[in-house]
Amino acid sequence: MKIRTFVFLLFGWLIPAVHAAETGYTLKATEVKDNPFLDAVTLVTLAEKTTVEILNRSGAWMKVKAPDGKQGWIRMLSVRLGTPGQKPPGGGSLLSALGFANRPRPASSSTVTTGVRGFSEEDLAAAKPNPAELEKMKSFAATGAQAAQLAETGKLKATRAVYFDEKGKPLKEKK
Amino acid sequence: MNALKLLLGATLVAALLAGCQSGGGGFSLENLQKVDLGAVVKGVGNLREVKEPEEIQIGQSMTETLLGARPLYDDAQLQRYVNEVGLWVARQSERPTLAWHFGVNDSDHINAFAAPGGFVIITKGMMKQLRNEAELAGVLGHEVAHVIQKHHLKALRKTAFADLLGEGLTAASDNRNTELVRKLTGPTKELYARGLDKSDEFEADRMGVVLATRAGYDPYGLPAVLSTLASADPKDNFLTLLTKTHPLPQARLDRLEPGIATLDAIKAPQNADRFQEFTGKLHLASQ
Repeated sequence: MKIRTFVFLLFGWLIPAVHAAETGYTLKATEVKDNPFLDAVTLVTLAEKTTVEILNRSGAWMKVKAPDGKQGWIRMLSVRLGTPGQKPPGGGSLLSALGFANRPRPASSSTVTTGVRGFSEEDLAAAKPNPAELEKMKSFAATGAQAAQLAETGKLKATRAVYFDEKGKPLKEKK
Repeated sequence: MNALKLLLGATLVAALLAGCQSGGGGFSLENLQKVDLGAVVKGVGNLREVKEPEEIQIGQSMTETLLGARPLYDDAQLQRYVNEVGLWVARQSERPTLAWHFGVNDSDHINAFAAPGGFVIITKGMMKQLRNEAELAGVLGHEVAHVIQKHHLKALRKTAFADLLGEGLTAASDNRNTELVRKLTGPTKELYARGLDKSDEFEADRMGVVLATRAGYDPYGLPAVLSTLASADPKDNFLTLLTKTHPLPQARLDRLEPGIATLDAIKAPQNADRFQEFTGKLHLASQ
């Protein structure tokens, strides 16, 4: 027990808190539903730029906690991450701006890029072809059977879905 | 038929030369607009369809240069995992039997790239922004769409490489064509610094969402990634190349909205736990 506590104290803080609360705000007046469906009961309508705590995500929907403590579902596309008026720090990473503050963040690179592993225009311009690295990349290729296995263990079921055009209309399937 | 192509080719070259002359001599924007350069270049490119072995050769050569800018991230388990997710998504596309290759490069910048013939690179920086496998599938689906729509080949036709595309390439696709690599290095750098047509990016978004959906993922993976990116400062140093080469994330979300709404009823896995098992180390890695 003591050892466990000790181990937690030693390493617990290192565990990436990916589920750490994300904060967002409404881009427009938005209905909070009791379930993640358009025809679900509307609990309350949030005004534009209401800050919410994001608890969960499912498809088009985010489960959020409103400032009054009420919980419900709003559409993902109605939410911007961060807080209203907040300018993400230039040169910093997105992470800190998005409430991932406890994730390590790349050092600021606003003036120097030393230590930052880049893929900037400069890195691209200076690139020399690297055939050995291409061979390495090829060595990691998956087989169809491995991909199918990944799908099975991940409960992924291949589904029929057709491409759509700019207006959202289904496109004819290619042969 | 051949004679006709030759005649057509000669006409196009003449038109191109005329375009160049107007550029060198009495240059004016008006003159340039009279010769529809875009149509001419497209015409030249269309004279010959690039066959799949050539396409793969071109893609390999370009990928050598992309990996020359940043090598792969050193984590074999992660590389294999990304290949499995990527192949599963690509198998739902119109080119399921292509030899698809995916790689995570060791870059803190946030980006992803495709090259012709089935080569896809995602940066470590992008991986760190993702919450789950559905988001990864969405990003990879976007890149797979670029490959199946041959967006990069189309863009190459607008570079100095265009004439080579018309000639045909000789070596077998699994041999390294050093001459091709040499000729492609410049155009590759030019192309990835400039980016594709915006319309191609919007198309890849629409198709990427559908590919991830076909693969059985939550359709909102790619929109969730775009929503993350929309919250960032586009001038962020880790986003400069992405911002320069892509429409802004909010514009991409706006364009996706009508189509993605048709997939709202689908409830499918995001596989966050598995994704975090494979990517947790990224967040611990020293900067």
